[in-house]
Amino acid sequence: MSSEQAGDAPALTEDIRPGTASDPDVGADAEGTVTVDGRAVTVGAGATVLDAIEAAATEASVPALCSYGDEDLIGPRSECRTCVVETDAHGLVPACSYPAEDGLTVRTDAERASEARDVNLDLVLSNHNLRCTTCGKNGRCELQDAAIENDVEEPRYGVLDDRDAYEPLDDSSPFIQIDRNKCILCNRCVEACNDVQVEGVLRLEGSGEDTRIGFQNDAETMEDSTCVSCGHCVTVCPTGSLVEKGLEDVATIQLPGFTQKNSIGKTLESSGQERRLMTPMKRGEGESEDTSTESMTDGGDDRLDENSDDDWLDENSNSGWPDGGGSDA
Amino acid sequence: MATGTPGDPACRIASRSDAGELSTAIREATDAAVRSVGTTGASALEPLLLVSRDGTTAFFAECTAAGATDVVSRLDDGGLPEGEADAVVDHDEQPGGLPVPPLSPLDLGTRSVLSPCGWVRPTVPEDYRSAGGFATLSTDASDLREAARAVPGRGWGDASADEPVGETWDGVAAAGGDPAVVVNAHGSPGDALVLESAPFLALEGALAAARAVGAGDVVVYLVATADLARERVETAVEELPDEGRSGIDVRVHTGPDEHRAAEPTMALEAIEGNHRLEARLRPPAPDTEGLHGRPTLIHTPRTLAQVVRAAGGASPTRLVTVRGDGGDARGDGGAVRGDEEATIELPEGASLSVAGDAVDAGGSVKAACVGGQFGGLTPDLDIAASADDLAAAGLGTDGVVDLLGEDRCVVAYVGEKARYGKAENCGRCVPCREGSTQLTALLREVYDGSFRRGDVEELLRVMRSTSVCAFGSHMTRPVATALEHFEAEFAAHADGRCPAGACPELPREVAA
Repeated sequence: MSSEQAGDAPALTEDIRPGTASDPDVGADAEGTVTVDGRAVTVGAGATVLDAIEAAATEASVPALCSYGDEDLIGPRSECRTCVVETDAHGLVPACSYPAEDGLTVRTDAERASEARDVNLDLVLSNHNLRCTTCGKNGRCELQDAAIENDVEEPRYGVLDDRDAYEPLDDSSPFIQIDRNKCILCNRCVEACNDVQVEGVLRLEGSGEDTRIGFQNDAETMEDSTCVSCGHCVTVCPTGSLVEKGLEDVATIQLPGFTQKNSIGKTLESSGQERRLMTPMKRGEGESEDTSTESMTDGGDDRLDENSDDDWLDENSNSGWPDGGGSDA
Repeated sequence: MATGTPGDPACRIASRSDAGELSTAIREATDAAVRSVGTTGASALEPLLLVSRDGTTAFFAECTAAGATDVVSRLDDGGLPEGEADAVVDHDEQPGGLPVPPLSPLDLGTRSVLSPCGWVRPTVPEDYRSAGGFATLSTDASDLREAARAVPGRGWGDASADEPVGETWDGVAAAGGDPAVVVNAHGSPGDALVLESAPFLALEGALAAARAVGAGDVVVYLVATADLARERVETAVEELPDEGRSGIDVRVHTGPDEHRAAEPTMALEAIEGNHRLEARLRPPAPDTEGLHGRPTLIHTPRTLAQVVRAAGGASPTRLVTVRGDGGDARGDGGAVRGDEEATIELPEGASLSVAGDAVDAGGSVKAACVGGQFGGLTPDLDIAASADDLAAAGLGTDGVVDLLGEDRCVVAYVGEKARYGKAENCGRCVPCREGSTQLTALLREVYDGSFRRGDVEELLRVMRSTSVCAFGSHMTRPVATALEHFEAEFAAHADGRCPAGACPELPREVAA
C-alpha cells in the first residue's frame, strides 16, 4: 500500500499504526438527566459522566488526569482512572469514559471512589520522575496540580527516584525534547500526532512495565523519527514529558549546577548530521532509504507472529520468584 | 457408522499427539477399521486404545505399539481380548458417544460436551452426525436464543463470562445491524480440547449463534501455537455440510501466544490486525460495538457447545481441566507443571472436590488454585461449581484447577503470579500496569520483613474495581485468597521463615 504513495503525498491514515486499541464511542446515546451529589443536571447526547459532573458545577471535582477536554479527537483514554466515581446502577465507573445515562445517580465522595482515585493518583506518581525543581513544566503541570489539589504529601508508593532506572532524555531534536521518565502514558500526544495532525509519527509501544511512547518508523530518537515538528504533542502533554526546546529549563528553580539534563544523567544527543528536508516521509523517492515503509505495509498474521515470541516463557523459567530478573530482592 | 457392521471390530486410538506410529502398527496387525480420534481429556490414559465389537468396548490405557499389536492380532479369532483390558463396557450397538468405562478420570463427573471427544473422528462430519451432531442446524433462531438463556458464558475469553448468553443474543438480534460471531478458543485448555476432539461441536454452536442473531460471518480465533487445534478446526470448516453453513462465512485467525491476547477486546484487536494488543474501553461492550465496529458475539467453544447441548434439552455443565503439581516448588516449576493433566466435566453446581481425584497429585495437596492463571486459592475443593459460589469464594470460573503440593510456598506462588501480571499486562491502565508493579514490590517487601496486609488489600480493591479489563481485576485473586487462607505463611516470611522450606533465601521453619 504505502509503497505506491507518491513521494510528496501525506501519509495515508490506513498506514498509521499508533498501537492503540480501537475504542468504541463511549458517550451517552441520548440526552439525559444525571444526579451528581444530589444535584440534577441534564446533558446532551454523547455526554460522559465527567461532562455531567462539570455541568453540575458542585464543589465536587475529580482529577481526571489523562482526560483532555479541548479536542474531540483526543481521548478519552481513560487509563489513569483518577476520575472514578460511584454510581447507583453500575458501582464504580471511570467518569471520563462512562456514558451519562438518563437517570444515573453519581456520588463523587463515596468512600470507595475516593480511595480508588487516591490510590490511582499515587500509582501514577509511583512511576513519575518527581524532580519538579528541574522541570520545565514546574508550575504548569497537570500532574503537579492534581497532586496539590488532592493534598498528596507523601505518595504511598513513592516516586520514580532511581537514577539507574531512568530512560535517557531524548534531546536529539532541535524542536522537541522528550523525557519519558515523566510520561504518564495518557496517549494525548499519540492522538494529536495521528488523529488530529495525521502525521503518523508517534505510537504507543511495548507492554506491561515496558510500555512507552515510541516512533512508528522504529527510530530510537526524535531526530531519526519522521517528526515534522508541528508541536501539537507538546501542547497536549500534561507533564514535562514533551517540552519545546528552549523552554526545557524555563520553569526550573534556579539552583547553580542543577538542570533538567543532569537531573536525568543520560541524554540522547543529536547526531549532528545535516538534514535536507525535515522529514524522511516527505522526501522524494530515491533520495533516502525509506525505513518506514516496510514496517507499515502488509497486514495479517506476520506482525502478530513477530509479537508472539516465547521470550517471556524463558524469562519465567530462568528467573524464580522473588529474586528474578536480577532485581534487588 | 460408528462401530461398523455387527461382528466387525472397530479400533480407535484416542490421543492428543499424533499417534501415527501406533496407528500404523495396528493397521498392519489387523484388517479391522482403525480410527484416530481426539483426546478424551484423560491424557494420563493415552494413547488409549478402544476396541469395539457387538456392543462391547474394551479399553487399553497407555498403549504401546507392541501391546496394541498383540491385542488386535487376536481380533481375527472373534470376540474381544477382554482379559488384558483395563476396562470393558457394554453399550448400545451405535453409542452416541464415548461409552464411559470404570476408569478414572473418565468416569468422574459426567460426559455431555465431552461425549464425542475420544470417540468420533474429529474432522469426519458423518462421525459427528452419527453421534447426534448437527441437530441444531434446523432449529429456529428464536428457539436457539431461548436455549442460550440457560447457558452462562464459559471462560475469561468469553465476553459474556458467567452471564446468560441468551440475553446478549436477544439484544444483538433485536438491534439489527451487521453482527459478527467470534469463537474465542485462545484462553483455556478446555477450549483447545473441544477444537481438537470435536471441532464440529464448536462450529455447530457458532453457526447457531450466527443464525440466532443474523450474523453473516464467524471468526474462529485461537493461539498461534495451537497447531493441532488449528489444523483440526480448519479441516472441519472445509468439511462443514453445506446445509449447515446457511451462507455463513467461517474463517480462522490466530493471535500471539500471550495470556492477555485471549481477553475478548484484545482478541478483536488481534483479528483486526493491530500489531500491539491492548484492551478496549467498555461500555459499550463488543455486542454493541465490536469487530470493526459491528455488534459482535464473543464466545468460547465451551460456551457454544453448551448452547448446542441446551438446545437438545441438556442441563449446563462445566469443563474443568485439573493439573497436578508436577514441578518443584520454585524456579523452573512454572515451566514443567502440568505434566499430569485431565479435563473432566461436572454438572453445574456439583462439588469441585471430584477434581482432586482427576489426577495423581503426587503427594498430599495443600491447596488448589481455581480459575487458571489468575485463579484464587482454596485449601478445600468442596465448593459448588457455579459462578456465584466460585465468586463468593474468591475463585475464578475459567475451568482450570491447579493442585498445589505440601512443598509449595504460597507466598512464592502468588508472588510469581503478581510478577507475571506485571510483565504480561497490556500496559494500558494505571491500576493494572502500575498496580501490578507495586503489588509485586509489596510482596517482595514481605521477604524483607515488612508485611503490610492493609496496604496490599487496599491496592487489590482498587485494581479489582478500576482496571479496564478482567486481566487487572482477576490478577488480584491469587493474592487476595492467599491472604484469606494462608496469612500465617506471609507472617512467617516476614519473620524470616518459609514454612514450606521452598524459598532458598529463607531458612526452613523449625518444627515446634
